[in-house]
Amino acid sequence: MSTNSEKPTPLLAARGLAKSHGRTRALRGASVELRAGEILAVTGASGSGKSTLLHCLAGIVRPDEGSVVYGDTRLDGLPEKRLSELRRTDFGVVFQFGQLIPELTALDNVALPLLLAGASRRDAHVRAGQWLERFGVLGQEELRPGEMSGGQAQRVSLARALVTGPKVVFADEPTGALDSLAGEQVMSALVHTARESGTAVLLITHDAQVAAYADREVQLRDGAVVPLGVAA
Amino acid sequence: MIGMSTRHILLGLLAGGPSHGYDLKRRHDERFPQARPLAYGQVYTTLQRLVRDGLAEVDGTDSDGGPERTMYRSTGEGARELAMWAAEIAPPAPFVTNEIFAKVVVSILAGGDPAAYLREQRAAHMARMRELTSVKTAPSADLATVLSADYALNHLDADLRWMNTTAARLTTLTAEVDAS
Amino acid sequence: MRSDSPVRSMGSDSPVRSMASDLRTAWLLTRGSGRREWWRVALTAVGAGLATAFTLGATVLASASGRYRVPLAAGLLDDPGTRSGVMLGLTLLLVPVLGFLGQCARIGAVHRDRRLAGLRLAGATAGQVRRIAALESGLACLVGSAVATALFVRYLLSLTEDPPGFVWAGIALVAVAVPVLGALVSALALRRVVASPLGWVRRVRPAARRGRGARILAAALGVLAAGLVLVPDAFGGYAPVTVVVVVVVLTATGAVWLTGVTSRLTGRLLAARTGSPAVLIAAERLRDAPWTAARTHAAVLLVTVVGTGFIGVRHGLLVVLSSREPDGLSRGMSYYITGIDLAGAAVLIALAITLSGLAVGAAESLATRRRGLAAQTAAGVPFSVLRRALLLETALPLAPAVLVAGVGGMTIGVWYGVVTGDSNWSMPYEALLVPVAVYVLCLLAAATSLPLLRRAVRPMELRYT
Repeated sequence: MSTNSEKPTPLLAARGLAKSHGRTRALRGASVELRAGEILAVTGASGSGKSTLLHCLAGIVRPDEGSVVYGDTRLDGLPEKRLSELRRTDFGVVFQFGQLIPELTALDNVALPLLLAGASRRDAHVRAGQWLERFGVLGQEELRPGEMSGGQAQRVSLARALVTGPKVVFADEPTGALDSLAGEQVMSALVHTARESGTAVLLITHDAQVAAYADREVQLRDGAVVPLGVAA
Repeated sequence: MIGMSTRHILLGLLAGGPSHGYDLKRRHDERFPQARPLAYGQVYTTLQRLVRDGLAEVDGTDSDGGPERTMYRSTGEGARELAMWAAEIAPPAPFVTNEIFAKVVVSILAGGDPAAYLREQRAAHMARMRELTSVKTAPSADLATVLSADYALNHLDADLRWMNTTAARLTTLTAEVDAS
Repeated sequence: MRSDSPVRSMGSDSPVRSMASDLRTAWLLTRGSGRREWWRVALTAVGAGLATAFTLGATVLASASGRYRVPLAAGLLDDPGTRSGVMLGLTLLLVPVLGFLGQCARIGAVHRDRRLAGLRLAGATAGQVRRIAALESGLACLVGSAVATALFVRYLLSLTEDPPGFVWAGIALVAVAVPVLGALVSALALRRVVASPLGWVRRVRPAARRGRGARILAAALGVLAAGLVLVPDAFGGYAPVTVVVVVVVLTATGAVWLTGVTSRLTGRLLAARTGSPAVLIAAERLRDAPWTAARTHAAVLLVTVVGTGFIGVRHGLLVVLSSREPDGLSRGMSYYITGIDLAGAAVLIALAITLSGLAVGAAESLATRRRGLAAQTAAGVPFSVLRRALLLETALPLAPAVLVAGVGGMTIGVWYGVVTGDSNWSMPYEALLVPVAVYVLCLLAAATSLPLLRRAVRPMELRYT
């Protein structure tokens, strides 16, 4: 586990993020750092601003105030086209559900990011197949999301998020719709692969047992990070 | 494992066949990886008590090239006792010794900072949960390790949940404790 | 509907009181419902208004017998023969209106089905839920029909001082029949949903949804048959009308079937080969639900057949007329031209209504999928890919179907020209423009939902509420 004494430059850093949805203030000055290859859990009660924080960090929404810096690029100033490209190439996302296209097979869903990057269908299928195998969904490539169990679908989602070799994977309650055993399989698949490939993971969860898969935890309350006491 | 049932666990390990003290300790620690490891002394005292109560008997000695060791085996009485114990339900949490809750109340009474205590306790719990999670997700972990880690994780998670709701209701609790 | 259902509604001792309580529930549900529900109500009211207006027009014309002086349309309405032609046109306009209403019923359908299933879970009987839903759409239709009737009556009174009593009776009948029919149809359509209180738990879409296309076709056939029986003389006897009707119905059926089959086939072929993400998404959606496209496009194809045929017939008529002018005609050229233009206007109105239905359908399909689309955008799928997929979904299956519909229409036009135009017959090439124009207009109609796509992909849609 990393200690607080070493301070390498963060891969992704947010400072003083504020964001309102209409009259609801989702974030009020949240600051978070994610180091390369690190698995960081963001926990907090529902409505504490976890998802909005993820959206700001992943360049899905622009914060009203504050900055998001990825490497040496400021995300909050980039045009949507560049952000979309960045999300495609450097980031991967896993949500509770809904990130798979219901009409596409598991194989095509995983191949889609590669096709978007300009790979040929054949190459994309080969690589997507390898990733599905890695996540233990071999033999189900031709199933569509509706025909899979929740756990299988989430593992396909992980394969889709990781297939382009991203630097960061953003996972928003990836086990939220699963029972604990399926959730455990999804989490260990995510953690193993991330460690193997050195991918950083920002994990949003309200479940302490899921948060325990991370190296470090940041707690949100009322849109800001709870200052942690000295860890025992 | 509560001390009382160490004898039953040893009886259970003996059910597979005669064994000596060192071997029983080793097998115990292997089977119950997240439990407190047994001390040799405890193993030998327990074995002697089993013999005294007629639940086990000495099966001779075995040197096997090394130092001489006393072998023990279970008796018919021991097997009956074991079957009864294994079928008996564990009383669901008869006495909840909630140290955390006691500390929160004492902290309020003594004018301390219960919120800060809960935060730190929470961090400690999380640290332990991360440890257990890395134990169970290690590639070498067998199912026994995973299951016993899960047992501990679920209990820590329950504590943690309780701490979360308590932290959110500290103001009311403080008013209640101060009023009485 | 089975009125003798063994399960009686709660408190069924007084039908009036239970009706009142159903009405109250329907009102509460409508009032408390979201924006999309209001869209459905509003568009249903518009559709019902159109249906009322066209039916009223046909009814009033039908109730007139003998010769009248009607100061409209160059005297076209004076003569019983041409009047019945106009009537037939008005009646035919009901077909696209029905298609439009069918599309409107889809708006927020998922949400509504869930809500109705929720009512069942809360203890309402199947009959009660059906009545509540029927009242909901009945009320929407009543608003539309009331407005249309009021406007129509004002217009009628400006034309003629004192319409006879049976005209008033006809108007009243139509004004009441439209909302009643709307309520009945919606009760029938909801049979499946209310059958199970847990209907909303189903994640898989029910497969048996081809029925609506067949129903629209049956309705179209019924309307045509009614027109034929009412006004056999409109097109000069049974034979030509029968030919036109048979060709129209055959082509429309063929085109719907063809859209379905080609949707599935193009979907399957393209999905297996393409390397383009947009084509892949569109193709897999077609392969997955080929009949959705077919249903949506049924009315489009019908209009294409009629439109192409109409231009062909118009071409033939003009050839005949100009060869006889000036002495061969019993009336002035403008009389005939007005008649033709009126028919053309009817086709255009039908096209407009159909395109609105298509746009509504495209918007609804987007609205239903907005959470998934937002997730795709969040994952970095470019907006342009989603946009292309959306347009391809309309463009791919429609191309062959519009082609067939165009060929069918051309057949009518050419046949008419050959039969009537003797020596100086010429090919109605301008009719070929109709399928092309319809195709382009359909793409434009589908494109009207692009701003909605922009909104659908906003990250707000990612929230799990």
